[in-house]
Amino acid sequence: MISTEQVKQYIAAGLNCSHLEVEGDGHHFYATVVSAEFAGKRLIDRHRLVKEVIATRLASNEIHALSIVKAATPDEWEKLQG
Amino acid sequence: MDTQDIIKQTVTENPVVLFMKGSAQFPQCGFSSRAVQILKACGVETIKTVDVLQDAEIRQGIKEFSNWPTIPQLYVKGEFIGGSDIMYEMYQSGELQEVLQGL
Repeated sequence: MISTEQVKQYIAAGLNCSHLEVEGDGHHFYATVVSAEFAGKRLIDRHRLVKEVIATRLASNEIHALSIVKAATPDEWEKLQG
Repeated sequence: MDTQDIIKQTVTENPVVLFMKGSAQFPQCGFSSRAVQILKACGVETIKTVDVLQDAEIRQGIKEFSNWPTIPQLYVKGEFIGGSDIMYEMYQSGELQEVLQGL
């Protein structure tokens, strides 16, 4: 079992995030990812980007499953915060 | 026709296609069930679904077609949209309703 903090570090190591939240129970994780690298990308490609960063850890089952709750650019994220 | 051609034809001939486990009436997986619920919430009345549990070649082939490892998978006008996480995120922002409008 790995911690949410560890999953957070794995994502942050491969993707420049301005905001990153990870919740989970050690098996299933839920991430909110805000990154300028998402700009101009469709949602599917944003999710691909995050999944690629942790691909080997998903394949080895170190991270059993990661759901992406939100993949936004800093601008979009700011608007969502109202 | 090989599997990739069959998939290509299915997503081209139908404006909205959901590859899922089970049927819209009886989904066999929580994620597939969620995908159906989201489409219904968007006002899609009749959902063209393909039950991958009925066909092992489609089940594997769809993952290669989209280069995406999980099921369900939603296609609109031949374009791969995503799985249930993406559908839900787009539904929340209103983007999915826009994409599905008039179909």
